[in-house]
Amino acid sequence: MLRNYFHKMRGTTQSPPRVSFREIAWSWLGAFLGIAAVAWSDSFFLQGTDLVLIIGSFGASAVLIFGAIKSPLAQPRNLLGGHIISGLIGVAIYQIFSPYLWLAAALAVATAIAVMHATKTLHPPGGATALIAVIGGPKIHHLGFLYAFMPAGSGALIMLAVALLVNNLARERRYPEFWW
Amino acid sequence: MNENQPLPKLELTDADIYEAMKAVPGYLDITPGDFKEVYQLAFKQALQRLRGSVPARDIMTKEVIAVYRDTPLAEVAERMGRGGISGVPVLDADQKVVGVISEKDFLMHMGLEKSQNFMVLVANCLKTKKCLALPIRAQIAEGVMSAPAVTVREETPLAEVAQILTAHSINRAPVTDAQGRMVGIISRGDIVRATTHRTE
Repeated sequence: MLRNYFHKMRGTTQSPPRVSFREIAWSWLGAFLGIAAVAWSDSFFLQGTDLVLIIGSFGASAVLIFGAIKSPLAQPRNLLGGHIISGLIGVAIYQIFSPYLWLAAALAVATAIAVMHATKTLHPPGGATALIAVIGGPKIHHLGFLYAFMPAGSGALIMLAVALLVNNLARERRYPEFWW
Repeated sequence: MNENQPLPKLELTDADIYEAMKAVPGYLDITPGDFKEVYQLAFKQALQRLRGSVPARDIMTKEVIAVYRDTPLAEVAERMGRGGISGVPVLDADQKVVGVISEKDFLMHMGLEKSQNFMVLVANCLKTKKCLALPIRAQIAEGVMSAPAVTVREETPLAEVAQILTAHSINRAPVTDAQGRMVGIISRGDIVRATTHRTE
């Protein structure tokens, strides 16, 4: 039994093939435009306010919605659902467990994953969105539950719009695979 | 027909899958190993669906050697012998199946116990010199047939036919239309043939 346990760590198959140069170029362009749209909106509209539009987890979302566009994890349901649900969970857990930041951080990420699974909205960057709600500092904490919709929900929505526009320009790309 | 029967060998290698993945533009978020697993399960699922949906009509034998209620047993035996078959349906005047006669029915009416086989008969014959079929010489099909016959309908799915044959420990079942008239016969052999053909 122990042998089997360690045997499982050896892996069974190989890494998927490398994508073409054309694919790499489209991923680059999409990610550039997607993050640019969010970051530009943030600095143009929200400079000097208490609001934010960009958070670190969008970097991870860009990997999926521009780099792995066929992945179920990259579809609109997952992108929007994952960020909003994880945002709500992160804020709720921060507010309950804020005296113990380490515990809140762990609970937020773990619970976000569980709820994303249960709602079929698994989106890895959602884990970051939940974590940022806890460790993001006073500016994030001050937003309260708004955090789940702004920046999390609205940022994701902007990224989704760019993904739809840019991914479908490429002859060999098609996005999304499904909406809901 | 057993669900645990081994899958036909699927000659799909990780390398095949890897090459196929290269042919699809874009990053596929799955490993060749996982793809193979999904493929094999899907293939198994498709086989089960086919087994479930193929009706008896599609694999039955349509030219059936049959006898009537009043066919003399000598003729029944002759037809079975000539056809090389071990059982025949017995029909009434409307072509409805009223029973089945198998080798076993003959043996049982020739003085054998249920558990005995043909060799007991041979042994008796050799020892006593007085041959055995005499008691049934004058009879007709109706007298020895097993009735009612276990039959299946034309639209009964393959998997269900297999279950019926197994449950009754029989090798064949006449296939009937909605009015009970015989349209064919389905044997274990037909099922084996149909499934091996499909999985090849």
